[in-house]
Amino acid sequence: MNESIRMDALPQLTGESPPVRGKRLSDSQIGFLLVLPALILLLVIIIYPLLNSMWMAFLDKSLVFPGEEFVGLKNIERAFRRDFFSLLSTTLVFTIGATLLPFFIGFGVALILNGQLIGRGIWRGMFLLPWLVPSVVVSFLWMWIFNANYGVINGLLRDLGVITENINFLGTRSSAIFAVIIAKTWNTFPWIAVMVLAALQTIPRDLYEAAAIDGADRLRSFWNVTVPQLRGVISTVLLLSFIWNFQHLETIYVMTGGGPGASTTTFAVGVYKAAFQSRDLGEAGAIGILWMALLSVVVIVYLRFAVRDEA
Amino acid sequence: MMTTTMARRFESQGMVASDRSRLSERLLLIGGFILVAIFAFFPIYWMLITSVTPVDQVFNFPPRLVPSTITLEFYGDFFNNPALLRYLFNSVVVAGTTAITSVVISVYAGYSFSKFRYTGRKALMFLILSAQMFPQTLLLITLYLMFARLGLLNSYWALILSFTSFTLPLCVWMLKGYFDTLPDELIEAAKVDGASQFTIIHRILLPIARPALISTFLFAFIRGWNDFIYALTLGGSEYMTLPPGLVLTYMGEFQTSWPNLMASSLIVSVPVMVLYIFLQRYIVAGLSSGAVKG
Repeated sequence: MNESIRMDALPQLTGESPPVRGKRLSDSQIGFLLVLPALILLLVIIIYPLLNSMWMAFLDKSLVFPGEEFVGLKNIERAFRRDFFSLLSTTLVFTIGATLLPFFIGFGVALILNGQLIGRGIWRGMFLLPWLVPSVVVSFLWMWIFNANYGVINGLLRDLGVITENINFLGTRSSAIFAVIIAKTWNTFPWIAVMVLAALQTIPRDLYEAAAIDGADRLRSFWNVTVPQLRGVISTVLLLSFIWNFQHLETIYVMTGGGPGASTTTFAVGVYKAAFQSRDLGEAGAIGILWMALLSVVVIVYLRFAVRDEA
Repeated sequence: MMTTTMARRFESQGMVASDRSRLSERLLLIGGFILVAIFAFFPIYWMLITSVTPVDQVFNFPPRLVPSTITLEFYGDFFNNPALLRYLFNSVVVAGTTAITSVVISVYAGYSFSKFRYTGRKALMFLILSAQMFPQTLLLITLYLMFARLGLLNSYWALILSFTSFTLPLCVWMLKGYFDTLPDELIEAAKVDGASQFTIIHRILLPIARPALISTFLFAFIRGWNDFIYALTLGGSEYMTLPPGLVLTYMGEFQTSWPNLMASSLIVSVPVMVLYIFLQRYIVAGLSSGAVKG
């Protein structure tokens, strides 16, 4: 009895046309159909815009006025002649600083949180806080801390007698980039700490015991056990931070707007300002295409690495 | 042999020299911890303190670490400012719609990537993974032109579509990771019972996946909530979200109202912090799938 009911209910339950009327879709066809909406959206709002923006490099075109003219490599030549190398060096200083500084701090925090510590769970949550703050807020906060007239760092340095005149951290060519790097570091290091801590906790205890039996002290077992075991997460974290910092815009744009002069104008700021302030899409595209070429190298290295991890 | 290992072990634990190195190691650790803690927490303390310090004390140099009186007027200012409330409303609408759209589209894509095998699957997956590695700033130029041509500039549509460009890869990748953890047998069993793919997804998988859907939604919501540059460029003053709205409202040409800015900054940050408390146990999974930015 039970069986007959199920047989009757079957066509409605499956909700598909019975085999008589036509061929069922194969599994791989269904799989592709399921991806299709995401794929179309991806093409329209990511792939096409990316390619089209790079294509601007070969055009003489304004953001607001209609009309365009094909000018070949003129914009790219001009970019090389004018600000490419300055953009590259500023971007590299920012990227390397904002990758390595949070890396060491985050690594240290992970080691501390992995050791014996009173209230470890609470600290672990607390240390996430700087990472949870939206990047605009990070910028506001550090602009206020570095403020030339009323900033708390100037106040502290004056109280300690280190300086007699306030320093305009964000308004001085040599210090602005470091101020921005510190703000970004504050925002990023918890992410690295979480990643490293998660990896630390997967290292089997007996590796340390074996090292101790072999007479290794703490420092030696750190170099010979911890670091090799963390190789995967260290490369992931360094590559991803490099990729993200290489294209980071918000903290820099809000804190300094690329200035003073061009001292904090990275590729991201350069492209944004060329497109939306000078409204010169040719210039923006030319910087952009060179920027993408450099970035692609790192992204390919990362993807290779990620593929190897997947397999 | 046994005795030599024992002896060595004994040596490394019991000697005075190693005791001293233990102690200095501890001191180093404590010192490092204090420095890092100051770096991590002082700025948050300072944001909080500035937001409740009366104006005459804020613009007083050198600043005092603890104000002599406190005020909540700057929080009141936020909620009495119609423009800021409008930005807040925009933030909720845009981040919410973006997150829902992305999750709905990504459920199907994530399921397909995880449980189906077809040619081009790997290539598509890496296209989506790499899509989040390329600069927003560059996409923005063409998105701006596209929306201008379609007459969508300065509208919710412009913001929702542009935000989807960074939430979609995140959601697909996170949900694929989730479906990978579900056993294939679950789907096979349903197929044997005669269920169609439609039934499998909507009647079987979605109810099980509810926690994953919620956490993916929240991650996408936060990313939209935090965005600055798309909202600044595409939203216009009417549809702009809070982050650029704050810049417009408080960062004057000559004098910035820091206590107002700090109070509003906390108002923007607190929802994110609260959401993350709920998300705590998903954070590591989200991180290692490369979905959550550092």
